[in-house]
Amino acid sequence: MIPGLVKLFLFQAIGELISNFLIPFIPGPVIGLVLLLAFLVIRNSLPSDIDTVGSTILQHLGLLFIPASVGVILYLPILKANAWAVLGTLVVSVIATIAVTGGLLKLIAGERDES
Amino acid sequence: MNHKLPHMAEIWVYLSGNPLFALVLTLSAYWLGLMLYERSERNPIANPVLIAVLIVASVVGVLDIPYEKYFEGAQFVHFMLGTATVSLAIPIYKSWESLRGRFVVLLLVLVAGGITSVATALVMANVLQLDPALVGGLYAKSVTAPIAMGIAERIQVSPTLTAVYAVVTGVLGAVLGRFVMDALKMRQWWQRGFALGVASHGIGTSRAFSVHPEAGTYASLGMGMHGVLGAVILPYLVNWLRT
Repeated sequence: MIPGLVKLFLFQAIGELISNFLIPFIPGPVIGLVLLLAFLVIRNSLPSDIDTVGSTILQHLGLLFIPASVGVILYLPILKANAWAVLGTLVVSVIATIAVTGGLLKLIAGERDES
Repeated sequence: MNHKLPHMAEIWVYLSGNPLFALVLTLSAYWLGLMLYERSERNPIANPVLIAVLIVASVVGVLDIPYEKYFEGAQFVHFMLGTATVSLAIPIYKSWESLRGRFVVLLLVLVAGGITSVATALVMANVLQLDPALVGGLYAKSVTAPIAMGIAERIQVSPTLTAVYAVVTGVLGAVLGRFVMDALKMRQWWQRGFALGVASHGIGTSRAFSVHPEAGTYASLGMGMHGVLGAVILPYLVNWLRT
C-alpha cells in the first residue's frame, strides 16, 4: 500500500510544482492526473500498487468532499430563501446535460456496439 | 448529579478542540451513510455523501462548533482530494484501448455537454431569479468535486457552494438520468455511462457501475475527461462571461 501511496503523492507533488511555477491556470492535481496518465500510457501497464491505492481512494471519493460540503451551514439562510430556485436550476441543468450528451452521442455513434 | 457537570464540560472542551473529534464525526457519518445506502439497496436518493453531510452539518450546528474549528480537524480528509484527482488517471487509463477509436467523438460530445451544463444553469438561475451570491457555484457543478473546488478557487467563487452543488447535481443525475436516457431510447451501455459521467461525475459514475460495468467504465472516463477539460477551459469561459 505504501509504495502506491508514495507514487501517487509524488505525481501530485510534481503537478503542484508545475502548477505553481509554470502553468498556474491549471490546478496542480489535474496536472498530476495528466502526468500519471502519460506515465501509464508510455509504460503500457498499470502497476498493481498504484491501482490498489488509487482505486481504493476513488471508491470513497465521496468521503473526501464531506468536510468542504459541511460548509453549507455557512450558506444555510441564503440557501433556504432560494431553495426552489437552486433546486430548479440544478434539475433542469442536469437533465439538459444528460440529454445533450447522450442524444448527441447516440446521433453520432449510432447503435454501434462497444469494441 | 450537579458536581459531575464541570467534569463533563472539561471533557467536552478537550474533545471538541481535538482534531480527532472532527475526524471521527466525519468518518462515522460516512460509515452510517454507506450502511443506509446498502440498506436501501443502493437507491441513489439515499446517497451516502448526502446523508453524511446532513449528519455532520446537524451535529456541528447543534453543538455550535464554528465551521472553521470543524474544518481544522477534518482537513486531513479534505487533503486527500488532490490525491484522488491524480488517481482519476487510473480509470481513464483502463479504458484507454477502447477510447482510441472514438476519442474525437467523445471529446466533441463532452464539449457540447459541458457547455450545456453551464449555459442552462446560468439561464435557469436568471429565469428563477437566483440570488447573485449563489450563482458563482454553478460554473463547475458538473465537474467532479475535487477538481471543481480547485476551479472554484481559481475563478474566485466559493469552493463550498461549488461542492454542495456538485453533490446535489450528482444525486439528481443518478436519480433522473435513467428516465432521460430511456426517453431518448439510448440502448448502448457505453453511451449511457458516458452521458451520466459527464453530467453527474462521481455519484453518477458509481450509479453507472451498479447498473453495468461497461457503463461504469465509460462514466469514469466521462468524469475524468470533463474534469481535465473543465480545469483548462472553465476559467477562460468564466472570464469571458464576466466581461
